Amino acid sequence: MNQADLSKLVSALRIAVKPKPRRFSCPEGPAGRLEKLRATVTALVKYERIELNHPRAEEAQGYAERLISDAIRNGDCHKHTMEMADYWLNEKQLVHKLFKVLVPRYQNYNSSFTRLVLGPKTYPGYYVGTAILELKGNPFPALQPETHNYHYWLHNVLLEEAKKEFRSARQDRNAGTTESVTAES
Amino acid sequence: MLRRAVLQTFRQGLAQSFFKRNAVSLSETTVTHQPIETSDEADEKSVSKQKPGDESGNTVVVAPPEFRFMYPEFLPDPAMERRNRLKEKLERIDMLQRRSVVEIPEFYTGSVMAVTVADANSPNKFARFVGICIQRGGSGLRAWFILRNVVDKQGVEILYEMYCPLIQKIEVLRLERRLDESLLYLRDALPEYSTFPLDMEPERRLNNSVVPINPLKVKLRPRPWLERWERQNLQGVEDLNLPQRFYDKAEKVAKPWEKYDLMLQYRKTIPAEEQEKIFADVHSQLQQQEFKRKIRRRRGIDNEQ
Repeated sequence: MNQADLSKLVSALRIAVKPKPRRFSCPEGPAGRLEKLRATVTALVKYERIELNHPRAEEAQGYAERLISDAIRNGDCHKHTMEMADYWLNEKQLVHKLFKVLVPRYQNYNSSFTRLVLGPKTYPGYYVGTAILELKGNPFPALQPETHNYHYWLHNVLLEEAKKEFRSARQDRNAGTTESVTAES
Repeated sequence: MLRRAVLQTFRQGLAQSFFKRNAVSLSETTVTHQPIETSDEADEKSVSKQKPGDESGNTVVVAPPEFRFMYPEFLPDPAMERRNRLKEKLERIDMLQRRSVVEIPEFYTGSVMAVTVADANSPNKFARFVGICIQRGGSGLRAWFILRNVVDKQGVEILYEMYCPLIQKIEVLRLERRLDESLLYLRDALPEYSTFPLDMEPERRLNNSVVPINPLKVKLRPRPWLERWERQNLQGVEDLNLPQRFYDKAEKVAKPWEKYDLMLQYRKTIPAEEQEKIFADVHSQLQQQEFKRKIRRRRGIDNEQ
């Protein structure tokens, strides 16, 4: 029975979602996996930038995006969304933060709400390495410098044209010398 | 002891009486709109809406939200490894082409239906089967449903593929829903809950705009059963009256955290934006087909008169 489930409407996530979830080893088993991710998601919403190991960061990113997208789509009067927020956020003041601060911030976003940046892999240590998971629009200084597209700036346009002119002039000169060589021979 | 053995083989017979048949049909029934149960769409009307418009100022036609319940097979299989946009688009074209030839009416689990199949080996060349839809699944051209009936005290289930060219006619004799999405427990229920007369007439509904939900609670036969029904949170079954140890074991084995697993839900659903795109694509063609059928039917009535 591989029909899509129709009971809930979900928004499309703007992050790369892997087809299979990761399992995390914990004494409680599968139940413990969600407990761990709950703690991570709570910390992310509380501190807005956290450093942790890469696999847990990737999983928590998915859950955080889902929580925020549900809050944006359904608002705080929707029973199911409120139940999810109540479960995923261990501190109840963060439920208020989700609906009163994060939802207005991300209302008109066309991109993902979180950013995952790979962190240092310190030897000896966990092979897969660390990652920094942050909510976009946070008040801290940016982790990576802003990328601008300098291609269409005036000095670059002029330089590109100058390069093209130089190369075509060189081609003409070479063509001229080869012709004279062939003519001689 | 002998009686128990007989009951056992009877139940095994029920489980083993699966056989596939396919058929095609040309019938005309009114396409009705169902009540939207989820709180999301509780207030929306069953008319195609026009979105306020994109930047260019053109109105964008959007299918009504109940479409995902009426035509669930148009949504692709949510498994990410099997998504292929081109294949899905081509399949949708083929599905609409098939629907223009044969009318595949709106139905739900719990509706009583009659399917006529082309059968070379039967005297009339057609085989008709009436039954209650206990399950539906599949996506695209592979969409199927299972009809169940009890014929001569033998339970019979037939799986029909909706888009198979052998299907001649699909009629919905009673359009209704039940409290569960899957009625597989009817195999372990008393036979009267699965018996429907083979010459059943289509029933007329008083209120065409809402699909009724039958709150029937079915009585199961005493154990042994085919599945552990006490572990499945069934709404449409009467109190099972089992010893407490069954419920204790069910609690031990249950996975209550799955209710909160947002990514598990996401991987099982098609996002709303994609659903809207798919049904906007499909909606206008389905409306045209319905319109043509109404005209044909009216012309048929006028000719008779």
